[in-house]
Amino acid sequence: MEGHIVRTYDGDILNLRMRVLGMGGLAIDQVQRAVQALVRGDDDGAREIVARSAEVTAYGRTIDDEIVGLIARRQPVASDLRAILTVGRVATDVERIGNAARKIARLALELHRSGEIAPFRQFYNDVRKMSRVALSMVRDALDCLDRVDVEGAAAVARRDADLDAEFHLALRELVTYVMEDPRYLQSTIQTVFLLKALERVGDHARNIAAAVPRLARRDDVAVDPPAVVPAQTASDARAPG
Amino acid sequence: MATQMATTDENLRTRVPRASVSAAADQSQPGDKIETHTVGQVTVANPVMMARRVNVFYGDKHAIRDVSIDIARNAVIAFIGPSGCGKSTFLRCLNRMNDTIPIARVTGSITLDGEDIYGTEQDPVQLRARVGMVFQKPNPFPKSIYENIAYGPRIHGLAANRADLDEVVQTSLHKAGLWDEVKDRLDNPGTSLSGGQQQRLCIARAIAVDPEVILMDEPCSALDPIATARIEDLIDELRQGYAIVIVTHNMQQAARVSQRTAYFHLGDLIEVGATDQIFTNPRHKLTEDYITGRFG
Repeated sequence: MEGHIVRTYDGDILNLRMRVLGMGGLAIDQVQRAVQALVRGDDDGAREIVARSAEVTAYGRTIDDEIVGLIARRQPVASDLRAILTVGRVATDVERIGNAARKIARLALELHRSGEIAPFRQFYNDVRKMSRVALSMVRDALDCLDRVDVEGAAAVARRDADLDAEFHLALRELVTYVMEDPRYLQSTIQTVFLLKALERVGDHARNIAAAVPRLARRDDVAVDPPAVVPAQTASDARAPG
Repeated sequence: MATQMATTDENLRTRVPRASVSAAADQSQPGDKIETHTVGQVTVANPVMMARRVNVFYGDKHAIRDVSIDIARNAVIAFIGPSGCGKSTFLRCLNRMNDTIPIARVTGSITLDGEDIYGTEQDPVQLRARVGMVFQKPNPFPKSIYENIAYGPRIHGLAANRADLDEVVQTSLHKAGLWDEVKDRLDNPGTSLSGGQQQRLCIARAIAVDPEVILMDEPCSALDPIATARIEDLIDELRQGYAIVIVTHNMQQAARVSQRTAYFHLGDLIEVGATDQIFTNPRHKLTEDYITGRFG
């Protein structure tokens, strides 16, 4: 994105890219902390995440303003315009990842309060594993975006299938617990929301990865946007694993 | 006049009567292969003008290299490129304005409705009525507003009497969006108008002789943004009746007013395409570097 005759234009675009990467780092950190707060029973940590969730949103608003300013002042075209709009789209996905952190922190507080988490403790392993996969996808997708690494981005997007598989496996297990003891229904539902939030983080990572070939104008590498969760999920979940 | 015409393709030199030309032209479809180094679609269906392998030399300087392109009817094509890329030189080939430069030599073929415009029986004055031109600086004649418009139709015998002439003047001023502003002062000198009005007067003067093509060489570069917007609006209206070729340094203007854009670089026609495509997805790196402001 460098090499403009007007060098401050290079600076503007670089700033924008750095800002979305910084925003990504913040969102990753918040999801990580929210998951930690959950598994450690750390209510203060969870509350802090909820309180700080506005930071990512504010980041997103700043990026929005900068994009509007850049378009108004520089009238970008072709690859510049594409790069700038891509940053805007990626910022939206990163904002949603930040929202996932808040959702996980809130659910952690509810789960801790309900005191019914005993059977779910082993799910913390699933949660940890899913968050590790999801966040590494986000990190790698942002890295591929930064380097405009089309092949790398396609590989990141493919990992979403693993995350989906983890999610469906966990769902099936949860159902067996509810069948054993219906008192856990409330906690189970909350846990499903929590796992779903992590699964969505993977979808956003995939969206970010999908932006890379468009940025590079590579029509030959298709990174499909995340598929809607297939309808048979519900029936899969009904059949005890 | 040192202007010469030569071509490597004898078929292109063959003069064909108009009727059969339009039939032949109808058969030429976008996608037809012609020999060119230009990226993108240089041909169009039923073009009003066709340039094939045009070269221009100023003495030893090779100013235009093997440029082939069609000019479509009822559409605006913008020529863009850095200074000295040859876009104005090529524009001036289209109505033989380069004839006036003694050291200029033009080779290749340029046809208007199938007729070779450099043909021996072609009268450059008649040609310039059919291919009108509007310049960078408004250049009204030092005469009245009325006379500025009436001059062309009169010398070309397009008006039989005063009433005819009045009508041509009024229609032309209407088409140029100037009538309401000048109808009460047609006897005032053309130079008494504002810059934007003078430029519209020059456009009215060009359309008074009923041209097929209007060439515009940086028509807005001496105008303020509001006057520029009025000219751009006018260009969009005029394309209903004319083919318009505009040379502009203002890339946003090219993006706003044209349907096709041609990018010139050091005398080469690098890329031609739909304006939307050129400004969102140029195929040639030079085009991309130029329109994004990386050129240098």
